[in-house]
Amino acid sequence: MAEQDTLNVKVVGPTPTWPIFFMPNYELIEHTADVGIRVKAGDLKELFKNSALAMFDIIADQKPKTKNQRPKTQTFTVRQKADNLEELFINWLNELLSLSATKEKIFCAFNFKKLGKYNLEAQLGGCDIKDYKVNTEIKAATYHSLKLQKTESGYEVEVIFDV
Amino acid sequence: MSSEATLEKIDDYRWRIPKSYKPGMRVPGIVYADEKLLKDIRQDKALEQVANVAFLPGIVNASLAMPDIHWGFGFPIGGVAATDIGNDGVISPGGVGYDINCGVRMLKTNFQYDEIKDKIKDLVYALFSDVPSGVGSKGDIRVSAREEREILVKGAKWAVEKGYGTEEDLECTEENGAIQGADPLAVSDRAYERGKAQSGTLGSGNHFLEIQVIDQLYDRDLCDEFGLTLGQITIMIHSGSRGLGYQVCDDYVKSMIHCLSKYNINVPDRQLACAPVNSQEGKAYLGAMKCAANYAWANRQCLMHLTRKVFEKVFSMSWQKMGMFLIYDVAHNIAKIEKHIVDGREKTVCVHRKGATRAFGPGHPALPDRYKKTGQPVIIPGDMGRNSYLLVGTQKAMEETFGSACHGAGRLKSRTAAARTINLNTLLKELEAKGIFVKASGRGTIVEEAPQAYKDVNEVVDVVHNAGISKRVCRMRPVGVMKG
Repeated sequence: MAEQDTLNVKVVGPTPTWPIFFMPNYELIEHTADVGIRVKAGDLKELFKNSALAMFDIIADQKPKTKNQRPKTQTFTVRQKADNLEELFINWLNELLSLSATKEKIFCAFNFKKLGKYNLEAQLGGCDIKDYKVNTEIKAATYHSLKLQKTESGYEVEVIFDV
Repeated sequence: MSSEATLEKIDDYRWRIPKSYKPGMRVPGIVYADEKLLKDIRQDKALEQVANVAFLPGIVNASLAMPDIHWGFGFPIGGVAATDIGNDGVISPGGVGYDINCGVRMLKTNFQYDEIKDKIKDLVYALFSDVPSGVGSKGDIRVSAREEREILVKGAKWAVEKGYGTEEDLECTEENGAIQGADPLAVSDRAYERGKAQSGTLGSGNHFLEIQVIDQLYDRDLCDEFGLTLGQITIMIHSGSRGLGYQVCDDYVKSMIHCLSKYNINVPDRQLACAPVNSQEGKAYLGAMKCAANYAWANRQCLMHLTRKVFEKVFSMSWQKMGMFLIYDVAHNIAKIEKHIVDGREKTVCVHRKGATRAFGPGHPALPDRYKKTGQPVIIPGDMGRNSYLLVGTQKAMEETFGSACHGAGRLKSRTAAARTINLNTLLKELEAKGIFVKASGRGTIVEEAPQAYKDVNEVVDVVHNAGISKRVCRMRPVGVMKG
């Protein structure tokens, strides 16, 4: 898995060599109407990346529909600003959902050029959504019960999605 | 995860969360439920959310909860709150939700179940083929940017002008299918982009298109007024504003988070981000929300048109000849500026209905002439294995709940718990044994939306009927279900 994770720094144009499997590191949180996740990571970049991977893991199977298929990928750049880290986190996830809907992509690789408390810039690798089995529509990441905190080993976040 | 909120019994169907429960509550909470439903309601954090909504500036009377209440985000699902706009009352995108004007419409037919029971499967397959559904579904109804702006202003009227329905359909739609005051300039380019290919698409999750049969009449006179009889086939369509609505909500939650400090507003959950209705931010959201609401009404009008076409194809008969007339279309995620009596005086309030249906009583000026005598039709969809209801609004709802009632059965189990505990094949067999044929875009959806995941809609409707905030007309059961 570690090797696959490093692949997301090589996001350049349509290429057939992208990782198409992930084992996102997250737990589901029970919520009556919606779906929540808890994600732990060693640093902020990993936290933002793993949360995005978890979100797309809920949305679609991380395996393409056809065996041996190597989906075409396309690169996108995302820039976000916020007043604090939690807001930046929510903006990040909602921007990914919004882009995913308009560009019809499943994002599976993330390369942060910049990630501070108030802004971020990242490159995304997205594969055509039609090549994946889509399971759930996530309408948005919400502020309800949002907890993003520093822990002894890094960072932890709990977020609830409106599905 | 359960709630320990203090509850005082008002009567058999109403419970009060006193203002003293949480410092900062401006009004008490009032929950419509019986003792049995209350046990379920206590299982999650919904009651805490009822108390949190009571913090909203300008809130009047009470933070209300319908018997289908369950844990949402910010507002509970099944929550109603009115704010006095003349007294710095706020509007909150979280009090409407991401699926702005998610709602339901019901149409009748001339068919009796016995006449067409052998055709139900054909109908469901044909619906499945001709009505786009599923996550991110796109439709054949493609619109230009100029047309999309027209949809946002004209709502269902746009669809009727395109030939997808009649003037009579508009008369039988809340707000005539287009709420006035929509401001297309308040809608972001991204929201336009998300909406352009999704007109006339059902969507996914709990959205559905059902063929139903009336299995119980409660009020013969009202059934006569609506032209409904036992065994008659009806159709119900549940959908909303799709990606356009999600984007409008997201855009304005983002901007209103900053309004909390700007207007010195203290709420216990940032998802309750809000701004005074009369502020620049409040007006902008209201203008954009109305656009999304109109988009949803146009969408349900298109879905009904596609449904009528499918019936025409299967039965080789015009929809008029089959009597496929719209009974009504109601929103259940919306904020509306309405006049209500508060403390003996008429006030202009912003009524948030988040998972709640408008239920105006007889004689209300907002109702079309045909429903002035009966009261507004209130359409309550249940889960795919039990029942749905047609009710009418009452004067008591005007007095107690700002003319509002419940919106459905209400979830009981989380989607993950449902997926873990329910076997798809067993479920499909059980439904088939009950005479219910189900087809869904995703197999997972059927399990997540299984009857066991919901409260019993019969118990929920009993409460609103017995509490007097709506009156039962008739009950339906599903026979053909298309899930998104």
